[in-house]
Amino acid sequence: MLRGGRGAVAALRRAAGSRGAGGQGRGQALEPSLLRFLVCPLSKRPLRYDESTNELINEELGIAYPVIDGIPNMIPEAARTTRKKPPAGGSKETSGPAGPQQ
Amino acid sequence: MAAAGLGPARLFLGRRRGAMRALLGLARGLASGPQTHFGFQNVSEEERREKIYQVFENVAEKYDVMNDSMTLGIHRVWKDILVHKMNPSPGTLLVDVAGGTGDIAFRFINYVHSIRERQLQQKLKRHQNLSWQEISKSYEEEKVKPLGDSQVVVCDINKEMLKVGKQRAQHLGYSEGLSWVLGNAEELPFDDDKFDVYTIAFGIRNVTRIDLALQEAYRVLKPGGRFLCLEFSHVSNPLLSRLYDLYSFQVIPVLGEIIAGDWKSYQYLVESIRRFPPQADGRT
Repeated sequence: MLRGGRGAVAALRRAAGSRGAGGQGRGQALEPSLLRFLVCPLSKRPLRYDESTNELINEELGIAYPVIDGIPNMIPEAARTTRKKPPAGGSKETSGPAGPQQ
Repeated sequence: MAAAGLGPARLFLGRRRGAMRALLGLARGLASGPQTHFGFQNVSEEERREKIYQVFENVAEKYDVMNDSMTLGIHRVWKDILVHKMNPSPGTLLVDVAGGTGDIAFRFINYVHSIRERQLQQKLKRHQNLSWQEISKSYEEEKVKPLGDSQVVVCDINKEMLKVGKQRAQHLGYSEGLSWVLGNAEELPFDDDKFDVYTIAFGIRNVTRIDLALQEAYRVLKPGGRFLCLEFSHVSNPLLSRLYDLYSFQVIPVLGEIIAGDWKSYQYLVESIRRFPPQADGRT
């Protein structure tokens, strides 16, 4: 009985911990002061910060740059495409050294 | 003997126009063709980028320790000089490229902070008849804006280096006016004409397309903004040069193996210093 109780407490703690960390694709949010400087490294056009997914989105090109541990990853190879079909310009699918690391 | 561990450095201080053109000319010569160099090897551009990424991924944790042992702490002096030459005033916007572990950024913050404090002291001294309300208001302002709108953005292509930098910042208590971005010096994720100062300390020789990095620096700097580059240079004195070579190629990689368990990375770092064009080329 005691073991069951401890197990339940441990499970609750784990759940609370992961919620605190923000769950999949979130984590630490972007520093707001950065938004005045950041643009898409490819097109140099403005980005939209999506708080729910913690990404910086270039609507025109249909790509999203992730924010990991509060640091925006602005390497084109790491960005994901937001559309089902690749955008007109063609998405960059080169094998760079960075690559999405999670 | 101290000179052998010095790794002589030089400062390029360019105003946005003239000096940039000179450096671009030099860099275009380096960027010829898809074949390039990695230390003393010849590799493709893509390979070079990957190898350099791995070097810094490997050394990130021990980067600061190795800098101290390799240069006998003298790299700190060079970085201090860089920030003093910069002489930033409160309100300055700095982008520190290849700034990985934050050395320049922290110095910038310390410098601006002390200027702000001095300004506050002088203001209070001048106004002897201030009421307690006015005095405490001044202190409040300083607390809310310890850097007076100054900001430094650290941009590096290497995740590990940034991670170490962020940890150091937390450990040393830096938070205000400091942000971290994972980005490529050849393709900066910043808007045009944004920054007052662009620094790249001991980083530009690791960039594969230096011409692109310089173009980007020009782009993100405000008109009249300054470009400050700190880099290793060649030793002209032949005796010193021999001692320096001995130290570089015999001692440093061994230190790398002992301290960081990584001889090859330090071999690359030393070779890359030799490969970087000597200072005379930068002046033409």
